[in-house]
Amino acid sequence: MLREWKDKEYVPPKQLFQLFIRGGFALTKVLLKNLSNLKNVRAERISYTPPERMYDLPEYKEGMKYVKSDEKYLRPTLYCNPYGKEIIAMANHLGAFEKEPYEYARDAFEFVKRKIILQIIPLDGVVATLKRGYGTCLHKISLLIALCRVAGIKARYKLYALSVIQQWYDTFIGADPLMQEWYNALGYFMLHGEGEIYLDGKWFVADVGPTPERQAASSIPITRFGEDSIGIWTQAIPGSIMRVESLPLGLGIASKLLMEKISPGSVAKMNNNVLRQYKEGRKILQEMGEEEYDKMARKGYKMPTIELEAKNIIFE
Amino acid sequence: MIKFDEYIKNLNKRLESYFPESIAPNEEGIFKPLDIYNVPEREANEYKFKSIKYAFKHHYENNSFYKKFCKDSNVTPNDIKSIEDFKKIPLIPDKFFKTYPSGNEFAMWLATVYTGDLPDIVINKNDSHEKIINKFNKAGLVISYSSGTSGRHTFIPRDKRTFHDSEYAIAKSVITMVYPFWEYDMYGYVLMPNPLKTNVFAGKVCSVYFDAIKDIEVALDREITADLIQAAMQNNLKGRIIRYAMQRENKKMIERIIKWLREKNKNKDKISFVGAPFILYFVMEELAKNGEIMDFGENGAVVTGGGWKIYEDKRLPVEKFRKMVEEILGIPPENCLDLYGMVEGNGWMVHCPEGHYLHLPTTYYHARVLDENGEDVDYGEKGRFAFLDGLAMSYPGFIISGDEVRMYEKCPACERQTPVLEPEVKRAAGAEMRGCAEEMRRILSMDMSG
Repeated sequence: MLREWKDKEYVPPKQLFQLFIRGGFALTKVLLKNLSNLKNVRAERISYTPPERMYDLPEYKEGMKYVKSDEKYLRPTLYCNPYGKEIIAMANHLGAFEKEPYEYARDAFEFVKRKIILQIIPLDGVVATLKRGYGTCLHKISLLIALCRVAGIKARYKLYALSVIQQWYDTFIGADPLMQEWYNALGYFMLHGEGEIYLDGKWFVADVGPTPERQAASSIPITRFGEDSIGIWTQAIPGSIMRVESLPLGLGIASKLLMEKISPGSVAKMNNNVLRQYKEGRKILQEMGEEEYDKMARKGYKMPTIELEAKNIIFE
Repeated sequence: MIKFDEYIKNLNKRLESYFPESIAPNEEGIFKPLDIYNVPEREANEYKFKSIKYAFKHHYENNSFYKKFCKDSNVTPNDIKSIEDFKKIPLIPDKFFKTYPSGNEFAMWLATVYTGDLPDIVINKNDSHEKIINKFNKAGLVISYSSGTSGRHTFIPRDKRTFHDSEYAIAKSVITMVYPFWEYDMYGYVLMPNPLKTNVFAGKVCSVYFDAIKDIEVALDREITADLIQAAMQNNLKGRIIRYAMQRENKKMIERIIKWLREKNKNKDKISFVGAPFILYFVMEELAKNGEIMDFGENGAVVTGGGWKIYEDKRLPVEKFRKMVEEILGIPPENCLDLYGMVEGNGWMVHCPEGHYLHLPTTYYHARVLDENGEDVDYGEKGRFAFLDGLAMSYPGFIISGDEVRMYEKCPACERQTPVLEPEVKRAAGAEMRGCAEEMRRILSMDMSG
């Protein structure tokens, strides 16, 4: 079993392990320093209604096509079982095995990015995410990875610690003094998950985390399939990027402990802020039109491309 | 009172070593006029056009990535015939200077961003960013950086001449604005890292203060490296030890500054502070706690820069700070000015004493305020601050910043001839938090010691 865990990368890589340890230390310190605050925060009752699912689940029919494989990046991994009936049905509904792989992967990306709302909840499987219609960036990216794997397209996780733009800081961190102190102690936000999809011999980055509405509310471009969030709304902490086949063991328990036990009120505040942000962005997109908005967000911010030159540098 | 011309001539004498052997067309606007805030518009525009066109042509011809960027926008130096044409000069988002690769490629990235040829620089496989920077600097460059709260730095490759021009510009901008306050025989305190022990731009650029004033003390007199900044912002054992040591050091630093203030107040000495406002805030808070009040009056000046956060969740209103300075140190608000600048540029905007509006340099620097489409907004409208910097010769200083400003054609409070920005500058939507004072605040862990 250990060998399988290692092979499937269930054991957290060194960077992630270090992140957990640092994050755990920082959180413990913050909690110990703020015991009375914590009591107040825990006693606080925050009204929160989860969003409704925005789509119908397609019906699963016997004989629907799917790829079952034990190959790396195609097989099931933690929280990412591509063989759930709902996943197979959705993959077929989105055009798996009918469209070109690139086209299908892009459409699956758009579906998850647009239809699954970001909400902070403990980690669970992809079928639950699909049925529910919301989840964290890790839920969302797992769902996209499952939709790709079930269609025979290799997919993996790209995880990293990050710092975010001011509006997202305000949404997630500014909502709660404990979160602020934790972030301050670390200097970054613990973990973000993107995906990478293997097409025509190349890995395409796919960040389904932010919906277009939230990006519009933050005045940033609407990121597309193949476009990285790093440099747009986030900066990866140097040295923290990990590319792995699976989410690691321990993340589920940690997320449950953190989100349900320690300070559920803080989580509710964050979720309410995300929903508020979503509404604000929806209004912007309705008024401007998505294409026009995106054109505007990208105009004036063209980045030069750079081809590295050695000039007179001598490498030893 | 000393005549203004004599005042600036005295400064120029003190800063003689900053003058190039022969002044290039891009430098005339900073070195030639005596009063940079009162150059008649036509003359200022002549200086500015000459400076920026010269710099643009230089980068177009000697910087491959910028030339490609211009070609993509279909612009060549021949298209720049008047100041109106400055709109055509492609602007680089400030984020670009954070997009460096890791490892050895970082050295190549610096070399590519740098305009022109470099001397031979030997890089080893395992060199850290700081080591690479120091090797560039030993080879005659002045690579400096600033950081966002992510710890991802903005690296700017200046050559010595550009750096000296920038130092002279900051000194001239501030000293002109505080006329007739400045004199060489006075005492100063740098509320930043020691310029000689850091590559952090906000600290490094203060080195001119040592040449402009006779007796200078430094608040943070230890080596501040990129690695230290990153480590101090993290929560591993190393980071905690650094922060613990910093917190202990902070208390001593505050005590040292108070002791210095007491002595200077007693001797009726002339003093000035330059640097991060939060350090002086904590000094004044400590003095207030002890009910201690000083009376420097016109013998004191404070020039702040880098942002106004004093705690993670608390921003200090600038007016409140000035009031504190007046009540606790006895320094009048007219002598308490803020400065706005950034690592990517060599233009320094300084508050006027009359209304505390940020006055823009106009003889070598062209400021623009842009809307979301990259178009100029009207005077008085909010937008993103962008600039064309004629002094930057070692990298293309045509930049869109992450700051949100309002610009006015004339200062509502004084008669100086330059346009102004509103007194406080904020980060624009979508931009990462930053500010050199905020960076220092985090390193020093002032929250915890406060």
